[in-house]
Amino acid sequence: MAVRLADFYKEHVKRKTPLWILAELIVTGLTFLLVLSLDIEPLTALFIVVLPSFVLHIGMYITLGKNTLRPLEIITRAVTFTSTQASDVQPPILTDEADDKSGLKSMVENIFARTAAPAVNTDNTKDDRELKIALLDTLDCGVIVLNEQREIVYANAAAPVHTDEKDQTTIQLLFEASDTLEQWLDYAESYNISAKHTWTRIANVLPEEPDRKIFDIMADYHKNGDKGIETVVLTVDRTEHYAVDEEDMDFIALAAHELRGPITVIRGYLEVLMDEMAEVIKPDQKVLFERLSVSALKLSSYINNILNVSRSDRRHLQLHLREDTLKGVYDSVAHDLALRASTQNRLLNVTFPDDLPTIAADRNSLSEVISNLIDNAIKYSNEGGTVTVTARLDGNSVRCDVQDFGMGIPSSVLSHLFTRFYRSHRSRKTVAGTGLGLYISKVIIESHGGQITASSTEGKGSTFTFSIPTYASVKDKLLANDSSNEGIIENSNGWIKNHSMIMKG
Amino acid sequence: MERKIQTILIIEDDRFIGEMYVRSLRKNGYTVDWAVNGREGVAAALAKTYDLILLDVMLPEQQGTEVIAELRSNSEDKIPHSRVIVLTNFDQDDESRAAMQSKADAYLIKADITPSRLLEIISQLKPME
Repeated sequence: MAVRLADFYKEHVKRKTPLWILAELIVTGLTFLLVLSLDIEPLTALFIVVLPSFVLHIGMYITLGKNTLRPLEIITRAVTFTSTQASDVQPPILTDEADDKSGLKSMVENIFARTAAPAVNTDNTKDDRELKIALLDTLDCGVIVLNEQREIVYANAAAPVHTDEKDQTTIQLLFEASDTLEQWLDYAESYNISAKHTWTRIANVLPEEPDRKIFDIMADYHKNGDKGIETVVLTVDRTEHYAVDEEDMDFIALAAHELRGPITVIRGYLEVLMDEMAEVIKPDQKVLFERLSVSALKLSSYINNILNVSRSDRRHLQLHLREDTLKGVYDSVAHDLALRASTQNRLLNVTFPDDLPTIAADRNSLSEVISNLIDNAIKYSNEGGTVTVTARLDGNSVRCDVQDFGMGIPSSVLSHLFTRFYRSHRSRKTVAGTGLGLYISKVIIESHGGQITASSTEGKGSTFTFSIPTYASVKDKLLANDSSNEGIIENSNGWIKNHSMIMKG
Repeated sequence: MERKIQTILIIEDDRFIGEMYVRSLRKNGYTVDWAVNGREGVAAALAKTYDLILLDVMLPEQQGTEVIAELRSNSEDKIPHSRVIVLTNFDQDDESRAAMQSKADAYLIKADITPSRLLEIISQLKPME
């Protein structure tokens, strides 16, 4: 019978050491007797004693080394083979009966068994399993387990999941359209054996809906995980933590309200004054009035950008997508934009084809994007330059190009343009602005289900392009999401609302 | 001939803004009354039918949300047959905004529009039958 694992080392020492101690004793004893029986010179005697001992030790080193170190070599191979490190080591196969007896075989078998299955108590009793489930349900932290098909195989009590009347359970989390759980899983499955990802500030329902909670989320993916567990999603309820920010937002909303009052008065009175004094003011005075108007208008735009960024940060940005035309959206701000261009001595050239299909748009937000892009083009074009706005149908989207012929943007800067507060080193010297406009424009366009890009040639100018899905292409989605509300979708970010992950069984 | 908006009630507590709208609208031929709080606004709207009500949201005495709820209440005998444009600088993003949007004909940020733009919007609006 093989020795116990705990006794393996002791047994190993026991089997090898006494043999060699006995051999050593016999050889030394015989040599000693030989020397005693012969009357020889001390030097010769010493030689006679040392030589056999020397030969004996060489043999001992060779055999002892081989015999005693062999288990170490085999165990090393087993461990190397079962580790995650890449190597061409073959697994040791032990067929010798001696290895069975010595316990080495059992040692190696244990290494393989251990790595093939993690320490799971396979003889779980039913009670034990129920205890574990009850324990998971007492956690404040949500635990959701997905299998290879991304079906929910387990969700504890705190997990943000929703079970419908057909007993199908879905994860109820409003991920951002650009960073959903499914997108990450797609990526992880394609490239990784294992991966981790975190999301912060993800709500379960829209603002103002009952039982709104805000979570920080961690997910752990293991390809072909044990027992079919491929993905584990942990959710931590951070509603109270983020509630502080919600109060900050109330402050921002109130501050914006206070700032907008005087701006309304300044813009309105300037217009009234310009209108009533049209006969008496000189052309150069009119320019001064217009500059005042445009400055007040800009203040108003900055406030809108700040409010939108603040909402987007808190996942509160809500869009009301309705059937609209790009021209209709543009016309709602056309007068303001024309004034902006003319006061800064730019020519604004806008042409939209008459046959463009309708789009699904939130007029207020989209007009802010157009204002931001044109404002940007005005800023970065040269004195007396032209800003061209054109549109065309591109597949299922309407594409709009805002082009200037100014200083252009270096390629190293292009990719950072839509980052918050980013403005190129060079432009910072010559052009003022908060750096929020392009960032929030991207958020708004992506929330429409569209895209925004920039291209540029240094010294020749830049083109900013955004695309918005045609109403026809998203009509069904809009109506399906909220048919009770005239096709208006209210969502934190686009129309990816819930993830179709279905509870198994 | 097609009927156009002629009578307008402004419910606005800010004197500067109220005067601005009154001046601009009267100059363009509209008949304008002005209430400075929600309670007065509701009383005026129930006493006389206006083609259009310009309604602020943050109002003393009675909030804009309450005003619109009362004016649009179906149980009331005297349902005012008025168009309603909500004019606010308070960009609320909660359900009260959605409620107001669903009951109003337009929902506009005051700072984003000038009197001339407001006139343009009003000229495109038809009175209720």
